[in-house]
Amino acid sequence: MNILVLVKQVPDTSDVKFDERGVMIREGVQSILNVFDQFALEEALRLRQKYGGEVSVMTLAPEQAKTAVQKCLALGADKAYHISDKAFGGSDTLATSYALSLAIRKAGNFDLIMAGNQATDGDTGHIGPQVAEWLGIPHVSYVEQVLSIENGRATVKSILEDGYRIVDVELPALFACLPPTNFEYTNPSMSGIIKAKSKPYTWWKADDIDGDKSKFGLNGSPTRVLKMYPPPKRSRGTVFTGDYHDAVKKIIEALMEKKVIE
Amino acid sequence: MLDFTFTEEQEMIRESVREFAQKKIAPIALEMEKTRQIPEDIIKGMADLGLIAPTVSPEYGGQGFDAVTAGIIAEELARADVTGSIPVFYLVQASWGHIFDKYGTEEAKREVLPNVTKGKWFLGIATTESDAGSDVAGTRTTIRKEGDHYVVNGEKMYISGVREAYTRGGGHITIAKQNPELGTRGMTLFYLPLQSKGIIPTYVDDLGREGISTGGFTIDNVVIPKHYIIGEENRGFYIVHEGYEYARGLISVICAGAGLQSLERGKKYLKERKAFGQPLAKFEALQFRLAEHYTKLSFLRLGAYWALWTYDQEAKGKATRFEVSKAIAMAKMFASEWSNAAIDEVMQWQGAFGYTRECPDQAAWRAIRSFAWAEGSKEIMRVIVSRELLGKEYISYK
Amino acid sequence: MSDYKGILVVGEIYDGKIRPVTFQLVSKARELADTLNTTLSVVLLGHNIGDMAREPIYYGADKVYVMDDQIFEPYVAEVYSRALTKFIGNLKPEIVLIPATHTGREYGPRISAALETGMTADCTDLVIKNGRFVQVRPAYGGNIMGEIITPNHRPQISTVRPNVFKTREPDRSRTGEIVQVKPEFDSMKVRTFIKEIVKTTVTGAKKLDEAKIIVSGGRGVGSKEGFEKLRELADLLGGAVGASRVAVDLGWMPKSAQVGQSGITVQPDLYIACGISGTIQHIVGMKDSKVIVAINKDPNAPIFNIADYGIVGDLHEVIPIFIEEIKKIKKK
Ligand SMILES: Cc1cc2nc3c(=O)[nH]c(=O)nc-3n(C[C@H](O)[C@H](O)[C@H](O)COP(=O)(O)OP(=O)(O)OC[C@H]3O[C@@H](n4cnc5c(N)ncnc54)[C@H](O)[C@@H]3O)c2cc1C
Ligand SMILES: Cc1cc2nc3c(=O)[nH]c(=O)nc-3n(C[C@H](O)[C@H](O)[C@H](O)COP(=O)(O)OP(=O)(O)OC[C@H]3O[C@@H](n4cnc5c(N)ncnc54)[C@H](O)[C@@H]3O)c2cc1C
Ligand SMILES: Cc1cc2nc3c(=O)[nH]c(=O)nc-3n(C[C@H](O)[C@H](O)[C@H](O)COP(=O)(O)OP(=O)(O)OC[C@H]3O[C@@H](n4cnc5c(N)ncnc54)[C@H](O)[C@@H]3O)c2cc1C
Repeated sequence: MNILVLVKQVPDTSDVKFDERGVMIREGVQSILNVFDQFALEEALRLRQKYGGEVSVMTLAPEQAKTAVQKCLALGADKAYHISDKAFGGSDTLATSYALSLAIRKAGNFDLIMAGNQATDGDTGHIGPQVAEWLGIPHVSYVEQVLSIENGRATVKSILEDGYRIVDVELPALFACLPPTNFEYTNPSMSGIIKAKSKPYTWWKADDIDGDKSKFGLNGSPTRVLKMYPPPKRSRGTVFTGDYHDAVKKIIEALMEKKVIE
Repeated sequence: MLDFTFTEEQEMIRESVREFAQKKIAPIALEMEKTRQIPEDIIKGMADLGLIAPTVSPEYGGQGFDAVTAGIIAEELARADVTGSIPVFYLVQASWGHIFDKYGTEEAKREVLPNVTKGKWFLGIATTESDAGSDVAGTRTTIRKEGDHYVVNGEKMYISGVREAYTRGGGHITIAKQNPELGTRGMTLFYLPLQSKGIIPTYVDDLGREGISTGGFTIDNVVIPKHYIIGEENRGFYIVHEGYEYARGLISVICAGAGLQSLERGKKYLKERKAFGQPLAKFEALQFRLAEHYTKLSFLRLGAYWALWTYDQEAKGKATRFEVSKAIAMAKMFASEWSNAAIDEVMQWQGAFGYTRECPDQAAWRAIRSFAWAEGSKEIMRVIVSRELLGKEYISYK
Repeated sequence: MSDYKGILVVGEIYDGKIRPVTFQLVSKARELADTLNTTLSVVLLGHNIGDMAREPIYYGADKVYVMDDQIFEPYVAEVYSRALTKFIGNLKPEIVLIPATHTGREYGPRISAALETGMTADCTDLVIKNGRFVQVRPAYGGNIMGEIITPNHRPQISTVRPNVFKTREPDRSRTGEIVQVKPEFDSMKVRTFIKEIVKTTVTGAKKLDEAKIIVSGGRGVGSKEGFEKLRELADLLGGAVGASRVAVDLGWMPKSAQVGQSGITVQPDLYIACGISGTIQHIVGMKDSKVIVAINKDPNAPIFNIADYGIVGDLHEVIPIFIEEIKKIKKK
């Protein structure tokens, strides 16, 4: 089993703030490994334990994302590919997924590619399906668990809004993973952190991957972010602190007036 | 070369420990006031991550961490556990695990250390007695050689982790007089399993750190094998100070971490709580107190890491024993006092709530207070620094 | 670029019915088509679609393309994306709207890669500004909104979040063209196979994303049993019961009831939040409700900052009063 996990470093969205002009206030915001990707990695490590093989991780990102990749190695991944070049600046999902697919081809033959279902910053959920399309392999999104791998096929559980599907897919395939709500993330162990230092870490620049360079970076990105702004705020309404009966009556009256209840 | 940065690896260690500590320890810390023990799943979690006695060499289950790295872990645990129980559980084993690893016999290390790092046993230190604390030379417990083993008699008091070692397994690195006539040159250090025949534990109801016990034990003709001797016979007094230094360094970081974390809580409270029509944080009188305590504790933190770094330099032959003793004593001299003062201030900001059991800072205050004595009192720190500055001949006692 | 004309909505058939989000998208696309003075088509993929194909016309579609084939049942991403890629490549619409459902967000991005064009994810608003198609979407866990354009590539593809656009009143007299299309594939090899589909929503319970009224509970509800009272109120109002993630994690409610960033987004007329503190991750899922009522015992709970009406108090006392008062009114 040769598994590749696609990983992205993201700002911790639980403490991200934006100013009025939509510029992110970076002060005090930690960069973390996208939690969906950590789940994908832990699932991959579980598969390695069960079926043997190797787990690689790959990111396309500026140099500072190394800490997130290093965390993957500390958690148990065997090796890392880090694709970093100014040429990739301003990539949208199409350009990102194209470059990633080229790097994946170069890195070798993988039986399984795992990604997060979405990154908590860009939040598009495009990269997994797009990479699969560029590589011409099947994929499943919202994968909560890889149930089994047998005879070159994998069976996975994929979450629907109102239930789930059990899907059987021919390998190689890509799975975009979604952690179950009660998933307990592992912290890298001390010995894992020490071992990570000596694991293979490959750096590639744009010139190291073969492909159509006009499809890289901003130039290769069909979408543009026109502007960003904080979401419109709802304002505080009437808050009752006194008698419950009185408050409930007043609220019901108002709701009827607004015709939200009949 | 002056560089205040931690290595990339140390930053990862900090992040991993912080995540674990904030997620698993912080939410249940105050519960230990009542349960009076560290939850088993936390001990297991710490062992799985490699946080118990990480100073021990990898062949005995440790990580081979140096003192600075051990300090990083101590700080993060202190920032999460307001009761101070887990920091104590950690620091005692990290320090004395290091001493065991450095001076213990191969046989004893194979027997004891893997059980310690796995979180099964507890490894503590027992020097203090009812009648001898600061003055280790006043120790009454004795050890005598009989054939191929040793026999110990006496008692120890105010010892951390007695219940832990007595019930879980493990024991304490203990000091006793082997040749009383030789004074400090006649003391021997050895490993004393608390489940040995002839040990009777007692417990004291102390003010804080509820998750870990403080107690004592009587030692009645306890037989220990030869391989439990730590270091050479009659060298105990010197070796024990090395361990104390390690522990004092970690305590200093713990005091800084706990105090700074308390200030974080306080800062949040100052911003949220309103009085006289504005947040408390708007009152300059309180702002200044925050600024002062923060500054003091930041210097304490720097000093503590510097002291631990000095300890590590000795191993590389780049610092002397005396430099280490002095650096460590300077770091610990004000550690508990400054930390307590900051925490006290934070309690004050919180008004009457600060005086309730629900307020986490009261637990932190009680825990930190213990470090004014434990592993060497703040007065003794002054004694040490004075001695290093003026020379042994100026020590005021014989 | 000028070869590309018209708006295409990809309809979704789910459990044998056209999913409501399809009509929401058609309703919105009608507005956009009118502004751009262009045509609006819908494409439906499925098997035994029959008369259902007419429905999008009632909501404003000019043309409905029907790809009826056994291969589309049950849904798998590679089949849908391949069929749609061919179809869209031939049709050349300037805008393609796809429901941002779990299925739409699964097959959609593949189409954009195959056609090498831009795609905007999970839009919450679509506007025409100076003749330009501007796609509005939240990012960073709902902390920021972004306006995205696809200036030089066609088609411009968006997935659009369910329940952000209102459905128009259907006009059953509206007419339009229905065109049967034979699906084309570059390759017929299907490597994905659905073994089983399991529904976990409680049968009979109202679907959250279709409910006009939602009574939602969080940690403050205290227990699984506590949710019974919420259900009673919801039933009385003809609504559904939702939950915060904590309530789901604690096993009090099924995952399908979770509102928020990692659950579903709802936009009912009335959202009653009981014992929910109002963290950003929850708020992004319900802040566009028409009216929000919050019941929380903590006067500083952030939920009150976005609620139109709030009661500071114990929900275990307040909800029964609500039930009682509603019952009184119903009697009248
Ligand atoms: C406000 C805003 C809105 C945007 N909207 C759009 C948009 O609608 N359409 C668009 O095309 N672009 C958009 N972008 C650009 C987009 O965010 C970037 O291209 C981003 O690098 C990838 O998208 P994502 O974060 O959404 O990843 P997702 O597609 O959500 O990521 C899914 C998974 O793919 C893998 N992955 C993602 N990125 C990488 C990487 N760099 N290296 C390795 N693995 C990776 C990870 O496993 C991840 O969990 C937007 C950017 C901003 C700032
Ligand atoms: C919570 C807690 C846990 C502990 N855990 C352990 C443990 O695990 N193992 C262990 O061996 N011990 C432990 N101790 C004991 C601790 O090391 C001693 O309390 C400390 O060494 C002081 O000794 P003492 O209490 O006997 O006080 P004493 O030595 O009797 O001193 C009394 C006071 O006089 C001061 N004093 C003493 N000598 C001088 C001097 N020369 N100049 C100026 N002032 C002086 C001291 O600073 C102190 O304030 C613990 C203590 C506490 C509070
Ligand atoms: C990546 C990520 C994704 C997430 N996605 C989601 C998501 O999709 N949906 C979601 O909801 N959360 C999500 N969360 C979790 C979110 O951050 C909060 O933890 C969660 O919403 C809190 O749930 P709560 O309001 O029920 O609980 P709490 O925050 O604990 O609040 C309980 C509230 O109940 C009140 N209360 C208690 N007892 C009573 C009583 N008797 N009467 C009245 N009030 C009472 C309390 O005052 C308090 O305000 C996500 C978090 C992360 C990190």
